Amino acid sequence: MRVQFVLPYLMVGLAALLSGCGQPPPATFVLNKKTDELIPEARATVVAALNENFGNPNQLVAWQKFPINYGAAQPESASTNRHEAGWRLKEGRNLYMRHCMHCHGVSGDGNGPTAKFLNPRPRDYRQGVFKFKSTLAPLKPATADLTRVLKEGIPGTYMPSFVLLGDETLGLIIDYVRWLSIRGEVEIQLYNEFAAAGALEKDVKRAVAESEPKAKRSQVVADLMKTIDEELAETIESRAADIAEAWVTADLPESVITPTDKRVRPTPASIERGRKLYLSQIEGKKTQCADCHGPAGRGDGPNTEQFWPIPGTTPERKYEIVGLHDEWQLPQKPRDLTRGTYRGGRRPVDIYRRIYAGIRGTQMPGFGGTVLKTDEEIWDLVNYVLSIPFDGKESASPGDVQADSKEEVASH
Amino acid sequence: MNRFWCFFFTGAAALAVLFCIVGSGPTYRWWFPGPSISPLGAQIDDLFYLILVITTVTFIGVNAILGYVLWKYGSGKPRRSDFSHGSHTLEVVSSIVTAGVLLFIALYQMDVWYRYRVKSTFDREAVAHPVAEVTARQFEWRIRYPGPGKTLEDTPQPTDLYTVNDLHVPSGKPVLIKLRSEDVLHSFFLPHLRIKQDAVPGLVIPVWFQADKTGIYDLVCAELCGWGHYKMRGQLTAEREDERQSYLKELSKTQFDDGVAEKEKSE
Repeated sequence: MRVQFVLPYLMVGLAALLSGCGQPPPATFVLNKKTDELIPEARATVVAALNENFGNPNQLVAWQKFPINYGAAQPESASTNRHEAGWRLKEGRNLYMRHCMHCHGVSGDGNGPTAKFLNPRPRDYRQGVFKFKSTLAPLKPATADLTRVLKEGIPGTYMPSFVLLGDETLGLIIDYVRWLSIRGEVEIQLYNEFAAAGALEKDVKRAVAESEPKAKRSQVVADLMKTIDEELAETIESRAADIAEAWVTADLPESVITPTDKRVRPTPASIERGRKLYLSQIEGKKTQCADCHGPAGRGDGPNTEQFWPIPGTTPERKYEIVGLHDEWQLPQKPRDLTRGTYRGGRRPVDIYRRIYAGIRGTQMPGFGGTVLKTDEEIWDLVNYVLSIPFDGKESASPGDVQADSKEEVASH
Repeated sequence: MNRFWCFFFTGAAALAVLFCIVGSGPTYRWWFPGPSISPLGAQIDDLFYLILVITTVTFIGVNAILGYVLWKYGSGKPRRSDFSHGSHTLEVVSSIVTAGVLLFIALYQMDVWYRYRVKSTFDREAVAHPVAEVTARQFEWRIRYPGPGKTLEDTPQPTDLYTVNDLHVPSGKPVLIKLRSEDVLHSFFLPHLRIKQDAVPGLVIPVWFQADKTGIYDLVCAELCGWGHYKMRGQLTAEREDERQSYLKELSKTQFDDGVAEKEKSE
């Protein structure tokens, strides 16, 4: 082959390389679907507020209002990317884009490129609702809870463990995730405010139709936007303050659910008491566990065989898929307790917290202080739940319960 | 053109050989992440170098012949072509020599393969007390240790200890893990120990290895298992037996935490 024959091939290859592998479009935060229900004028206000206070993925804005360590400038640092304020947020974004964006999406809406292949779907952070946490039922997760999820992963889902990234890296990612969650929640709160003020398309139409004397749409919208704009700054401030406070509260020590009594020894008697509680066989203690989790704990209770109404729909519509649904309106299976896979962790205290406070965003209610008044009752139920993989004969515990003396366990 | 192609091909081959010799250097870092820390790994390396020597000799020989032919017939002078049915003797000799070399490799490596894969040759103690069950899944390594003083059972036990991506084994003696997969094909790869074994859904595969030096080594997935294959990393921590016991003790304390002791500490 002559050298001149090689040249055309080279040219074609080079052309393909240049045309096919250009820069991808810049990453952008997508709007919540709900925001699109607003009239264009109000929607534009939401977009402007988000852009001003949070920026876009390439130009992040570190709004100092929130309990997030954005990173103070470190001019002395050897690393050049720490020289300017807000470096932690930027580093967090870079790491998030590398490790999390695939599934959780650029905006943290649980809709990344791989999300549609996954069941269960990746978490949508924007509601500010997190399932596996140690804090009291209505609260946000503590930072330690998010760290734990990143380190342990969530067995039974596609969330893998990131433990080898190390504490510093995980801290950066967690701060960015909290920031994304706050951003999403600000957007939802603004939507709620504006929707309540009547900025939904259907409300505006009705207002135009009902106005006496007949007003033009532009007039109605102008009036509406005037009221919204007048209070806008205050609205944003107060919503942001509420969200910031919720995240601060979650990290307070008193927000964490801490049992007062030690775990009851998982003796056959305790497991049996737990079994009775599970099956609602004790007078006045209607736990109704079996309604969802099934009498044998297989996650196949009668509630999984019904069609449930979609909350907030008038006239009432029902889900097309049989069984329970979570707050994200996705199908939700009660855990099969025979598998021994515990998404929120397998420590006794994890199960205790699930029973005490329920699982936020799901149909799992909390029983602590209401149905189950004492720690002992909860521990009995924990012991039973941890014994289901072993046919109720033995509960997961560090040693042989029969051989342990009572003192040893107590001092453990 | 004359002898351009002769210089081109022999030059390229010579450059490749030179690059490998200079690049690998005396410690062979070019090929491997340092010398193997396991006795079996050293034997596997020896096999590798044996095959490397054989292929290098073949490579140089083939290129020398190619160079000779290109030199001889590449002068561009017009000449009469010969017609040949080939040489029977030459074909028989070259086939027998090649087959002999392959047969030699096949027989020579058997001993190492036998030690690595045939269960009856495994260390008895290691087989009787597997250190852990490693379950590969997209995209992490889930690890189940038997409780202190217990033996690993095929099914989960109440005393089992669980962790993820960090496999702790005692150093200086053969250890055995049971390898499973929860979803698709994975491959359990310890590059520093030259251990590589596919994890197959539905099978429990015993894998033994021995880390003679304490330390932290890579554990990676060596079978493309999905979009997140690249992030399926773990680590192997080889440590003294007493250190490992205290690690397991700590793990047990964390895993059976009932939240109460935590409170006392913080108060």
